[in-house]
Amino acid sequence: MSIPNTSASSALRSSAVPGVTRFRWPELAGPVVVVVALTYLVSSLGASSSFLVQGTLVTLVMVLALQVFIGNSGVLSFGQAAFAMVGGFASGLATAPVTIKENVLSDLWGPLKTLSMGLWPSLLLAVVVGMIVAFISGLFLMRLNGLSAGIATFALLMVADNVFFNWRKIGPGPQVLPQVPKFQFVDEALALAVIALVVVYFMGISRRGRLLRATREDGLAARALGTSVWRLRVLFFTVSGGVAALSGAMYSHHAGAVSARDFYLGFTFTTLAMLVIGGVASVWGAVVGTLVVAAIGEVLLRFEQGVEIGNVLIYLPNGARGVAIAAALVVMLIWRQRGLTGGREFSFPRFGRWANRL
Amino acid sequence: MIQTILDALSFGGLYGLAALGIGLVFGVMRLVNFAHGELIAIGAYLLVITVPSLGLLAGIAIAVVGTALLALLMELGVFKRLRSAGPAVLLVASFGVSVFLQRLYEVIFGALPISAQVAPWMNGVIDIGGTTVTRGSIVTIILAMVLLVGMWFFIDRTTLGLQIRAASSDFQTARLLGVRSNRVIGAAFVFSGILAAAVAFVVVTQRGSVDPLFGVNITILALVGTVIGGLGSLQGAALGGFLVGSTISLLNAFLGNYRVYTYTWLFILVIIVLIVRPGGIVASRGTKERV
Repeated sequence: MSIPNTSASSALRSSAVPGVTRFRWPELAGPVVVVVALTYLVSSLGASSSFLVQGTLVTLVMVLALQVFIGNSGVLSFGQAAFAMVGGFASGLATAPVTIKENVLSDLWGPLKTLSMGLWPSLLLAVVVGMIVAFISGLFLMRLNGLSAGIATFALLMVADNVFFNWRKIGPGPQVLPQVPKFQFVDEALALAVIALVVVYFMGISRRGRLLRATREDGLAARALGTSVWRLRVLFFTVSGGVAALSGAMYSHHAGAVSARDFYLGFTFTTLAMLVIGGVASVWGAVVGTLVVAAIGEVLLRFEQGVEIGNVLIYLPNGARGVAIAAALVVMLIWRQRGLTGGREFSFPRFGRWANRL
Repeated sequence: MIQTILDALSFGGLYGLAALGIGLVFGVMRLVNFAHGELIAIGAYLLVITVPSLGLLAGIAIAVVGTALLALLMELGVFKRLRSAGPAVLLVASFGVSVFLQRLYEVIFGALPISAQVAPWMNGVIDIGGTTVTRGSIVTIILAMVLLVGMWFFIDRTTLGLQIRAASSDFQTARLLGVRSNRVIGAAFVFSGILAAAVAFVVVTQRGSVDPLFGVNITILALVGTVIGGLGSLQGAALGGFLVGSTISLLNAFLGNYRVYTYTWLFILVIIVLIVRPGGIVASRGTKERV
């Protein structure tokens, strides 16, 4: 589904076109500093908070994967979770102990059973496999436009889920792959998230990134300039697939286990909602959306368990949390239709302008 | 063999109804409504709760009215406030509404399935030319045909239907020519709700129980049908839904032990159809890209 020209009303102001055009260091440094600072601040609160932060970083990488493709191309994709699935299984199967695979997954294909490598090489393997799968499927799917492309990527997700859920030669099938080695510290996930942030930002401001955004704003004009929309989309789809596979691999090392249904509809829509709520067109939007939605979920979870304010114990009735999260999502979309950031990158608050208003 | 063909036809008819419900709303406001599944679910909940005490006809009436009201409520509460939003925002909003309602059903009705016999005679068999076929499949085919013909009459022969068609093919021009957009969109939601209630009736008689995720599966498949049928074309939506439903039924019958891979083959076919005909099988002029 193509996102229509959002800047039609102000076509003459080039600054109104969402997305970055050239390297401005605050746009990259801002999100990195925010993510690093919040990671250490929240994870210092305790072990459970640390685990929560790690999970949020995994999700952030996935939202960044969505941003680099959807944000720059304007084509909605539901298929990225398929690459996360591929990455999660590649990394999980490569690192799970051989004896566990022998005992639990007896139907597994021989070479996959004996495959064994360290955590970091397995992440690289996941990214490479994810990019290959994304490249091959992108060659076909990127011929499509608009909603047809959206539904075709959705079909890809359904195929991936159906195959991984049933074919025991290439994975655990309907079972869970257990005993995947976990990250030791929150720093590991943080480092990977920062790498993903840098990659996604530089893809966006690169020459090809700007060309792809040109095709998003006006496909006809961009093609008249000699741009191959298909090639650009395949390139960004592949990169996005690699980042998504990294997120899937990180997930398997975060949870210590991985199964096909971890990357199904719920995962797809949660991450997509985070991106849309933050603002599709910017890296900063991906960061803000992820943090805000994760924070709302966590705060409501605390309320469900009971929060003492003064002498009064306030708690939400069972199940109210899910209702409230979904309601918050819809309300935020109505309130800020172009996302919380409006698709703009991070910039320092302009105190001068505020001062003028006073 | 006859049963296989009848199953394919009844499955196709059922998914055609669901796809038409989604296609109606998509046509007038370019909204891919994921929450259609929750309309189907509320229809099924109302049937299961009211039919045992009030009887079949009263139950169906309550389900139809209730589902149509919820559809209208969705439009007034959420989608009316998102008129200027892009399709991506609309889609995510409809997903939010979908999850919201699922969780709400969980709070109100509980997460476990509620079961009741809505129309047990539908599960019986009848004898046609020496082979037995289930009554349900015959009733589904007849119901689908009646509703599809009814919808065709409404869309092709009434003023409101004409306005819906006009809005589907070019919303801005239709507005300029005096079509009242809110009324047309509201009508599309109401009719989509009525179709959802019909789907709910068929599915709940087959399954005999309803849970909060009751409508998710059929909605996803019907959505795919709407797109491959041809976006913005109501006949296309119904046809696409029919094709998806009958393909699933046939794949299930012919794959034998490999029927767990039904969805793999179905969605590979979907991708092939989209690549060959990106605008859908019945491509309408309104949705074609200029380049």
